Parts: sequence; C-alpha cells; structure tokens
Amino acid sequence: MKVSVNTEVAITYLSARKKQTLVAAMGVMFGVSMFIFMQSLMKGTNDYFEKMSFNTTPHIRLYSENKVADTHMMDTYLQDGSVKILDNPKQLIQRQGIINPYGIINEIGRNPNVAAITPQVTANVIYTSGSVQLNGTVAGVNITAEDKMFDVKGNMVTGNLEDLNHVNNSILIGKGIADKLSLHTGDNITVGSGTGSPIVMRVIGIYASGVKQVDETKSYANIVQAQNLLGKDRSYVTDIKINLKNYNTAPEVARELETLTGYKAEDWVQANSTLKTAFKIRAMILNSVVGVILLVAGFGIYNILNMTIYEKIKEIAILKAMGFSGPSVISIFLQQAIYIGIMGGIIGIFFGFLTSYGFSKVYIGGSSPVGGALNYIPMSFYLPHYIEAIVFGIITTVAAGYFPARKASRVDPVTIIRG
Amino acid sequence: MAEAALKATGITKYFHDPVTTPVLKNIDLEVTKGEFVSIVGKSGCGKSTLLYVLSTMDRDYEGTLEINGIKATGRSLNDLARLRNESIGFVFQFHYLLPDFNCLKNVMIPALRLGKLSYKEIENNAYEKLKMFGVEDQALKRADKLSGGQQQRVAIARALINDPAIVMGDEPTGNLDSKNTSIVFDLFQKLTKEFHQTIITVTHDEDFARRSDRIIEMADGAIIGLGK
Repeated sequence: MKVSVNTEVAITYLSARKKQTLVAAMGVMFGVSMFIFMQSLMKGTNDYFEKMSFNTTPHIRLYSENKVADTHMMDTYLQDGSVKILDNPKQLIQRQGIINPYGIINEIGRNPNVAAITPQVTANVIYTSGSVQLNGTVAGVNITAEDKMFDVKGNMVTGNLEDLNHVNNSILIGKGIADKLSLHTGDNITVGSGTGSPIVMRVIGIYASGVKQVDETKSYANIVQAQNLLGKDRSYVTDIKINLKNYNTAPEVARELETLTGYKAEDWVQANSTLKTAFKIRAMILNSVVGVILLVAGFGIYNILNMTIYEKIKEIAILKAMGFSGPSVISIFLQQAIYIGIMGGIIGIFFGFLTSYGFSKVYIGGSSPVGGALNYIPMSFYLPHYIEAIVFGIITTVAAGYFPARKASRVDPVTIIRG
Repeated sequence: MAEAALKATGITKYFHDPVTTPVLKNIDLEVTKGEFVSIVGKSGCGKSTLLYVLSTMDRDYEGTLEINGIKATGRSLNDLARLRNESIGFVFQFHYLLPDFNCLKNVMIPALRLGKLSYKEIENNAYEKLKMFGVEDQALKRADKLSGGQQQRVAIARALINDPAIVMGDEPTGNLDSKNTSIVFDLFQKLTKEFHQTIITVTHDEDFARRSDRIIEMADGAIIGLGK
C-alpha cells in the first residue's frame, strides 16, 4: 500500500482532532440526509399527484377544437408568397366530434410510443332523480379499455364494472352524485342531454376517484349509450384518449399527432399546468432549503479548517521549510475537507434513507377510504437522489475546504518561524 | 580545490517595517563542500536573517545565491521547496516537531515527501538517525511527549534524513545541555569529515563556534571577520 505523504499528514491531522472532525462530518451528514429526505418526499408527492392526475387524465387527449380563421386558404389560392393580413379573424365552426375516428385510432396505433388508445363520447347531461336535478357529464367509453388505462376497478365502491357491457341502459355513477341524489346500485336515474331525448338508466355501480369534483359530476356509460343520449350515430366520437409507454414523451408525441390528424392533441402537461407549476414551486422551495443546509455545512467545514490552520500555522511553516510546496500544502488541507465530505456523505446517505423509510411508514389517513386516497406520506426511493446528494455534499466540502487550504499554502515560513 | 556548496554574492536586504532599514549589507560568502561554518555576532546583527536568506526560505533580498552550483535566486516557490527538501536540512532554535506524529514519523516525513526510497527503507534510515542521537527508544512516542533536549535531537535527526548537502542550524544547540551539545557537535563534525556534508550554523555558543572549521563574525549586517 502506497499512501502519499500528503494523505498521511491529512489523515493524522483529522484523527488527532476526532471531535472536531466528527462535528464537521455531522454537518455534511445533516445536509446530505436532508437533501435525500426532501428529494424523496418531493418526488414521492409529485409522483403521487401525477398518478392521481392519470387517474382521470390520459397522457394525450385528441379532440376537435374550434379554430380561428387563418390565411392558409388564401396562401393556397394565390400562391404569390405575399404576406396576407387577416383583419378581425373569426372563430370557424368545426363539426363536433372526430371524423373517421376508427381510421385515426388505427393510424395512431402504429406509433411505437403508444400503449393504449380508446375512443370516448363526452356528453353534458342533467341527471334527474325524483325532483332533484344535477349537472354533469357522461363519458361514453369502452369500459374494459378505460379500466386498463385508468384503473376504474380500483375505485369501485359497489357494483360490478363489467355490467356496463352487458346491461342495457346502464350507468356507473360517481360517489358524489350518488350521495347528492341518494342513489344506490340498482336504482334508476333519468339522464338527458340537450340534443337527444332523456333516457332512464340503471345504476349498476358507484365509484370514488378521490377527486371530489370528478365524483360529483362524472358518470360512465357504454359508448353506444352516450351516442344515444346525444342522438348521434355510431361513428360519433368526441375524444380519443391515448396512453403512452413513457408519459414524459407526451408533449412531443402530442405535437406529432396534431400534425398527423389535424386535431388538437392535448398532452397531460398542458391539461395539468397548475400541477406542473406546483411541482416547480415545490422544487424551488426544496432546493433553497437544501442549498441553505449545505451552505451551513460548508461554513462549518470552512470554520473548522480555518481554525486548524491558525492552530497549525507553525507546523505548516515547518512543513514548508522542510520542502513541502504550496500545492502539497493545499493537498493536505483539501484532502481533510474531502475526507470529512466523504465520511459525512456516506453516513448521510444511510441516515437519509432511514429517515425517508421511517416517514414512508407514517400514517396520515386519507379523506376517503377507497381508491387514490393518500394513506401514508408518499416517499420515493430513487437512486439518483442518493448519488446527487453525495456529489453535492462533496462539492460543498471541496469548495469550503479550498479557501482555507489556499490560505495555508500561502503561509510564509520565515515570518512564522522567526515570529 | 574544493567545490562551493553555497555561494552568495552581494546579498542586501532591507526591513521595511516600520521604516526601511538595511539589515544585510552587500554580503559575499562562499562555503565549500565539507566545511563546518559558524556564524556569530551580537543579537540583531542580522546573522539569523542571513541564514534564512541562505536557506532559500526568504526570497526578499538583492544579490544572488547559488546552491551546489545552481542558481537559487529568482526561482519559483515550488522549485525552491523541492531544492530545500532535497539539499538543505534545517534545524531551528526550537525543535518545531509536528506534535500529532510520533518521533519516527517526524523524521520520516521529509524523506516521504522526497519519495526517492521505499517506505521500509525510509523507516530504516529514520531509525538509524534516531540511534545516532540516542533517542531511538523514543521513536514511537508522540513528539510532544518528549523532553526539550530529546525533541531537539529528533529535530536534528529530521534535518539529516535526506542526507542533505547542506545542514543549516539556527542555534541548534541553544536548548541542549553541554553533554548533548557535544554529542551534536561531534556528529556535525563527523558529517563534514566523513560524508562531506556542509554545516552552517548560527550560534551564541562561543565554545561551539571555536571548535568549528571557520567562524564568520557579523556586526550591523556586514561580515567583519572570516576567522581561522
């Protein structure tokens, strides 16, 4: 084993003042474990909310949207390359629904990023039970595909999901609707949209997604049922919902699909822009807290090394008199900082993991006992956090150690020894 | 006939605080290899200052300094550190050992820094040096657990570990009793005679000075006598 003399001196100094070394390492440990804990908590929370949003939002939703008139027709007709200015453009009425939806579904299905596709007919309706009326929407879906995408089954309170496929005029209502209209499985409810004639439907089940707004308005029905409600034909589809293999690619894939189909493709990031803003703000808060902690740990190391240097200034002078060069002296003191950093970092990683693990077992109780409810503090255990934490920890210690080390390297042996 | 181990030409140095005053005035000095030189003079005459200039630690002077025929003046700090490590051993008035290390390590450190020999060989050499001064039984004690005289002997052993061409001492025997002083003196003499190492010491000990090869007497920053 060949240890450089700088390393040997550094280690001797560190072990000669065990208490101080330990205190400095604890500063780093605290910073690193805090970093891990905060990152795990944030990622856990973000993942939870993301998952929650995917309970109701697909990765991409394709639908027909009214457009503002633009100049492309003029460009095509005139073909003179001049700039056309459209004064006071108006909204163009688009046909509601998607033309040739099953052709488009086939086409999208060829995209290798796509994991699942399902058509949907959304109908704005009024639920009537007795004399009470309630506004809401009916999502006409293929319930089997819907379940695969959004795990509707996991949200079921009573009833059987599959009945939607077998029972004529069946409907699956949200818990909020059931409470407000005092409905139970097997009851009848009158559902009417503005366009078709009202239909009496049978409640075959009740679900609770955990999102109050959804549970109080949204019902599921067979896609044919929804078309009937609206008085439309079998090719009428308002939305195509698409899930991807990797939801992070949604924005790019959405742009691709827009060009391919000509319809508006809304990815989940757009649909949940408030969620994303919340993520950003949370990340900012977290990073500033962690930054401050690491900064404080850095100052601790700076302080301790500075004190060491004051205390050992004579010895530094001697080392230089014996032929230790400036870089050697820097190496001696920087190594001390690095060892403190590594030591604190490693303990910090264990401690951070333990804290995160402990918190992930803390019961906080969800508002609703079923589906999607948050029962335990959400924590993610994500390896890159641990790597980042130790890297940041070591960077901080090196930065904090460098300045005292440089100061030590500038000690003039003559002034110190001669006094 | 003999080569110069150290040659200083026109060394002039000023202290700037509180007012600019000359401390060394145009000093020319040549020390040949294997010579044992003592620098004497009243306190404040600049002898220690001269020694620090000659040791290359103090770079703030005018004139030129050559060590072993190599010009030391104007070289970088790191070059000089290397030069000191290899060719100059320095003994201070106070021992200045590193208290966190044991005596053996203290002696070994300059050699480890030089890195020419293996760890085992260095350890061996360090033991030899400690034995020469009769402190080998203290080798594994921490440096700050020794008596003053023992510490000073360890410090001298440390100065010799790299077999430097020149050993400089700023009152190396100032804290030693007469018995230990004579041990050190005999050893220094042996180094010059047998190994052709050069010794330059600043001393107040007239007896010590008288027994050396040459006495350089200084007063008011100038050499006033090159004895013997």
